[in-house]
Amino acid sequence: MSNLLASLVSSANALQAYSQVLETSQNNVANASTPGYAKESVDLYALPFDPQTGVTGGVAAGQVVSARDEYSEQAVRQQETGLGYQQQLVENLTAIQSNFDITGDTGIPLALNNLFQSFSAWGATPDNEAARQTVVQNATELAQAFQQASTNVSAQASNAEQQIGQTVDQVNQLVGQLQGYNEIAMKGNGDDSGLSSNMHATLEQLSTLADVTATFQPDGTVNVMLNGATPLLLGDEQYKISSGLYQPQDPPPTNANGPANVQILGSDGTDITAQTTGGQLGALLNLRNQILPSYIGDAYQAGDLNVMAKQLADRVNSELTSGNISDGPPPVPGVALFTYDATNATNTAASLAVDPSVTPDQLAAISPGPPEVSNGVPLALSALASPVQASDMINGVSYSQFYGQLAGRVGTDLSDATNNQNVAQSLLSQAQSLRQQYQGVSLDEEATTLMQFQRAYQATSKFLTVIDNLTEVAIDMMSTT
Amino acid sequence: MPTAALVEQLMSARRQLDFACDLLTKPSPQAVDCCSSLLEETGRHLAECQPTFSQQAGNAAALEEAWRLRRSYLRTARLLQGAADFHLNWQKLRGAMTGGYTANGESAPLLHSNRISLHG
Repeated sequence: MSNLLASLVSSANALQAYSQVLETSQNNVANASTPGYAKESVDLYALPFDPQTGVTGGVAAGQVVSARDEYSEQAVRQQETGLGYQQQLVENLTAIQSNFDITGDTGIPLALNNLFQSFSAWGATPDNEAARQTVVQNATELAQAFQQASTNVSAQASNAEQQIGQTVDQVNQLVGQLQGYNEIAMKGNGDDSGLSSNMHATLEQLSTLADVTATFQPDGTVNVMLNGATPLLLGDEQYKISSGLYQPQDPPPTNANGPANVQILGSDGTDITAQTTGGQLGALLNLRNQILPSYIGDAYQAGDLNVMAKQLADRVNSELTSGNISDGPPPVPGVALFTYDATNATNTAASLAVDPSVTPDQLAAISPGPPEVSNGVPLALSALASPVQASDMINGVSYSQFYGQLAGRVGTDLSDATNNQNVAQSLLSQAQSLRQQYQGVSLDEEATTLMQFQRAYQATSKFLTVIDNLTEVAIDMMSTT
Repeated sequence: MPTAALVEQLMSARRQLDFACDLLTKPSPQAVDCCSSLLEETGRHLAECQPTFSQQAGNAAALEEAWRLRRSYLRTARLLQGAADFHLNWQKLRGAMTGGYTANGESAPLLHSNRISLHG
């Protein structure tokens, strides 16, 4: 009788254990599409069996074990950060590129070309009223093109500034969510698979925004650091970051009225801008504090658009004021055509205009010499199109070439970011695949696989070196004309 | 070699690299082995074309294709580096977990028992 009872107890235990296994499997299937979920399994262990003492044996269910591996989770998050950075850069550079036409059909290049042509036409007929009128008209259009480009790029800078603020808010909000999860875990729910899924899904979202490192604690809570150094979350304590504008003072700025930079501050007020280089936030900071100032300036640089506007305006004005409208006597000197805000080097392009008081007959055509040349000024101005003298150039190249370099830089940056985005997307797929491969794999299996990998990598890297050399040689040889 | 033929050769090499990239996005030891054979073949292919590179100096179409090939190479190299770093770091991590650290503070080498594995 006792044997029969023992068998029944043993069978009941086994059924209970298998029911738990089944429940766990059902949970795995139900959560197959849940973001952040990692499959779970139940450890089964044998119960002692000793018929002499009436110990019935059988099987019992042990702990539910998650197959999640934090190392591969962090690898995925790292690639999310890389992809977030490139995606944000591509999005913003695409918008900026539309302001820099390189076809010559619109904007600054078209207006510049038209002005140079009108100088040339004026040189052919220096006394022609219509030719002078065209010069004034085209100069006005060029000034407007500079204003337009500067306004558009400044709008991109404001947009980036706004996006930085929103991204910082998103970071704080996601960290706030994690803080809530930590509080739940601290109440003894650290093993809850649903909680763990939510935490990991939130961490992945956070990783696209910024470079974060997550460290899980034995109680199931997670600590989150920004850039590996600034705490965002420790236990149930959140440390909020903030963003704002600042004008650097050390070294003293050369353009005190230039556009301010955006800075990111830790919860204790520490400036962490320089360390914030990853994710969407890193890309926006790079764009707002590095890329855009190279066009429209900041505290330490005038920006290429302003440099070009100033140098062109000064050169044209200098030719016109050195010439004469009539021989006299007494000779009547010419007047300056362009005006701009001379008090702020970063405002030249935005303020460039044609002096409204200037009339076409005030444009000086006569170069006093000696020898005096009746169309000397328009001829000198038309030489700006294909300069020979250094004084007619800007940074050693013509104005059109300088603009081409400026516009080409945006194109190159965008092309690089697009290529990097494709690579980052592949790297993320790779990390996700590796995470999947290694979930719940035993240490022994892993060790064998790792040895196989090591051998395969060594062989592959040799061939890569060969291809590296050959592709470089191909480009070098074909680039030579 | 005519331009069209060289461009075709470079395109073919690029396709092989792109296929290697696809393999490396799901890097199992077999995939990396297969990738190794592909890269060997691509390298041999390009070495055969090398003498004709100089004949295409200044040829925009060939240069453009060479740049595309270069970009595919860079993507392949990044993916291989990514997978290798992942496994190398994991190897170190597992070594430290199983064998602790050496006197120099490095993680212990990963030991594994010799096993015979049979595949059906």
